[in-house]
Amino acid sequence: MQRDLEQRSTLADLLRELPHEAAPPYGWTEFRDRGEQRAVSRRERAGSRSRTALAAIAVGIVAFSLRLGEPLRPALHSPDGTNALGDTHVVGAGAVQTQPEALPADSGTEALERWLASLPDEPALVRVGNRAAVTGLEDRLAEVDDLLTAERVDEARPARLLALQRERRQLVSSLAQVRYAETLADASR
Amino acid sequence: MTRLTEIVIDEALLRDACAGGESAQRALYLALAPATLNLIRRLVGHRALSEDIFQDTMMTFYERLPQFRGEAPLGAWLRRIAIRRCLMYLRSPWQRARLCLEPVDFGVAAEVAALITPGYAGDLIDLERALASLAPTARAVVWMYEVEGYSHEEIAREFGRSLSFSKSQLARAHRRLRAWFEPQESRPSCSVI
Repeated sequence: MQRDLEQRSTLADLLRELPHEAAPPYGWTEFRDRGEQRAVSRRERAGSRSRTALAAIAVGIVAFSLRLGEPLRPALHSPDGTNALGDTHVVGAGAVQTQPEALPADSGTEALERWLASLPDEPALVRVGNRAAVTGLEDRLAEVDDLLTAERVDEARPARLLALQRERRQLVSSLAQVRYAETLADASR
Repeated sequence: MTRLTEIVIDEALLRDACAGGESAQRALYLALAPATLNLIRRLVGHRALSEDIFQDTMMTFYERLPQFRGEAPLGAWLRRIAIRRCLMYLRSPWQRARLCLEPVDFGVAAEVAALITPGYAGDLIDLERALASLAPTARAVVWMYEVEGYSHEEIAREFGRSLSFSKSQLARAHRRLRAWFEPQESRPSCSVI
């Protein structure tokens, strides 16, 4: 037997000789019935899956707006109708700071940077994920700053310069959002 | 054993079935279903799971039948659908866990066959048990290569793996099959029924 198995054709022959089904497991009518049942249950599953996904999205939106949306609103407009830009201040240890928002595109970055500079260096306790995000953004900002300096020195590609400035604005804005979320989380503890 | 690729279907019957004729589709079912179930059972190893996959395979087959252009024999076309369905099950982590927990029913099938088939050789019972001792993936590779005539390249493509995956699976499976036919004391303990 061992010798037989070493010859591929013999093994194939033996495998083909194994017992096999001589009839379908069930008749044509039952096959059709089972098919219809499966189609119905598949449709139901698809429906319930999409309902679950919609519910999860709705919960996510509500949670996000509760967590971030509400505290932002007072900061958007001060009572006298002026922007709260630049008027950020530290109320006390662990207190929430207002975030400058609704900024004109040009002055926005500078204001956000001022606000970022006013934050304490290390919030009391943050998650590793948040710190990684902040570090990543700061690294990318430094990289973009280098590229900007190089482009300004060359003065060769104005389009590239504009693109880098746009990217820098977006990075600063993202960094501000992450730091703001951190500050809120810290204050709520 | 009749393989799917060996089944010859009358062209007129096939045309009727492609056009949605109920009686032609029924005739196709009767002609193709046993070999399809047999292939699936050999690849998967579990009767109940095989019937599930068989149902899925045949449903896909009838859904796609109007698109069949006759470039390959109908049996080969159906075989491909069946094998893909089986491999999809074998790749799924949930199904893999299920296959590990449930005993393979080859041994029982062989014993029943030995009871009802005159002259059913003891070697074949041993071979059934040996096949049952293989991991589902290795068993599928053995069956595709030895019986269905797939090349290593084709097996690798179907599994979405490298060529050496197919070769090493087959070599390991051959080693394990050989071990089953060595003297009794060296066999795995689960061989005793």
